[in-house]
Amino acid sequence: MNARDTALDAGFGERWTRAMTTAFATEADRLGELDRLAGDGDFGRNLTSAFGRVQQEVDAAGPTTYAAWLTCVSRGFLGTGGTSGPLFGMFFRELARCSTGDEPTVAELGRGLSAGLATVQRYGKAQVGHKTMVDALAPAVDALGATDGTLRGAAEAADEGARSTADIIAKRGRASYVGEASRGVLDPGAVAMAMVLALAADSAS
Amino acid sequence: MRRSLVNDPDDLVVEALEGLALAHPTLVRHDAEHGFVARATPARDKVGLVSGGGSGHEPLHAGFVGHGMLDVAVPGAVFASPTALQLYDATRAADAGRGVLHIVKNYTGDVINFTVARELADEDDDIATEVVLVDDDLATDLGEEPDDPDAPGRRGTAAVVAVEKICGAAAEEGADLGSLAELGRSVAARARSMAFAIEAGTHPGSSRPAFDLDADEVELGVGIHGERGRSRVPFGPTDELVARLVDPLVEALRPARGSGVIAIVNGLGSTYPLELYAAARAVHGGMTARGVRVDRFLVGSLVTSLDMHGVSVTLLPVDDELLRLWDAPVRTPALTW
Repeated sequence: MNARDTALDAGFGERWTRAMTTAFATEADRLGELDRLAGDGDFGRNLTSAFGRVQQEVDAAGPTTYAAWLTCVSRGFLGTGGTSGPLFGMFFRELARCSTGDEPTVAELGRGLSAGLATVQRYGKAQVGHKTMVDALAPAVDALGATDGTLRGAAEAADEGARSTADIIAKRGRASYVGEASRGVLDPGAVAMAMVLALAADSAS
Repeated sequence: MRRSLVNDPDDLVVEALEGLALAHPTLVRHDAEHGFVARATPARDKVGLVSGGGSGHEPLHAGFVGHGMLDVAVPGAVFASPTALQLYDATRAADAGRGVLHIVKNYTGDVINFTVARELADEDDDIATEVVLVDDDLATDLGEEPDDPDAPGRRGTAAVVAVEKICGAAAEEGADLGSLAELGRSVAARARSMAFAIEAGTHPGSSRPAFDLDADEVELGVGIHGERGRSRVPFGPTDELVARLVDPLVEALRPARGSGVIAIVNGLGSTYPLELYAAARAVHGGMTARGVRVDRFLVGSLVTSLDMHGVSVTLLPVDDELLRLWDAPVRTPALTW
């Protein structure tokens, strides 16, 4: 049996959720600062608020399966305002739905990530090169969808995609309102998405 | 220097919603857990009507919950969209088995969160939903191709009151979801609004208005979120300033001589009734001069922008059926006849 079709180790959903909660609590200020340089400055506060709600959802629901853990993440974002709240919320909803087992396989995560990208693009109408989270997510979907794709490979592709946003003048999303002033600044949505994928890879091993 | 009446600015919206429910206990209740305002007695066997948006525009939308208008209103923080989960919970609360109509002012955050709520209601609860997008603000009409998916389009402002009133009346009569959506879209499509301000609004707890105007300046084409307007024009008497709203509205709508309109003369927060009724008189004069009847007036501060000092005028060309629905009984905290 292909390793991509084997369920990840028990506790993956919980480890990933907790890793994101910890990491974004630390990084919210840095991401918020990027948003202040080329956006409306509410991204850091929205992230803090979203993961505060994730913790409340976890406390209330007592999740035991991967789908239940990721549903807590999804609801945390859907209960947060702005446009990043619903976009990340629907992204994590697709990831929560990608597996019915206790833990997902890498192949299932690949399909979930692909569905998440489609949902984000449907709502946000962004393409690669628009300086949004799509610039990190799309290469990760390609990497994870390959027959030998791994979570680490997807995380690296997302990281590279997020770095590429420094050279782009925003055409969509929060930074599109400031135009030329967005050049040289990483897109905080893309950076956050790359973090999500790096933490998935960390949590799988 | 501006001052506002607050305990803690962060608590203002929730405290006001509690107060609304305490003041009108037979009409509305405040669901603090899910973040919405619903009818005190839920309606049965009708399509549910839900609207919502950022706070700071009171009495919109919570003031229009009740018989003949909305079933549930969903307030966000000041000038911020309600969340997708709030709107989803509100949609479930409004469903009486015949589906739910969302009435949404055209702002990116509102549109996306309402859309997510409809997707969740459809997938997780099998609730049928439709949406009416209200985009009446003539100042943001940049002549874009109507089908351009990338264009933000016109903002939604005071015409939302007409959509809520007219769809609300039709819903009480038992209209189905599809025909309500069609009715609402036709009202939204034919209504246009335009506003000016002589002073910007001030966020609760802030000491400065969103923008500064000199004593001889007027912001024309102003939005309801402290956005700057399309241009600055010289200050002048009421009749002149109101003509700066009516003229472009008539130009855009081109109502035929002998036809009739509903006119909403709306205060933006700190415009007082004497000023508003003098503005209504000016609107009447402008329409009469063009041979157009004002069949109904709605004059008051209905869609505000905190304490902005200014006026918006909405014109809605009407026929007998729309007038009949407009005249149907309504019983809400902010509108009753």
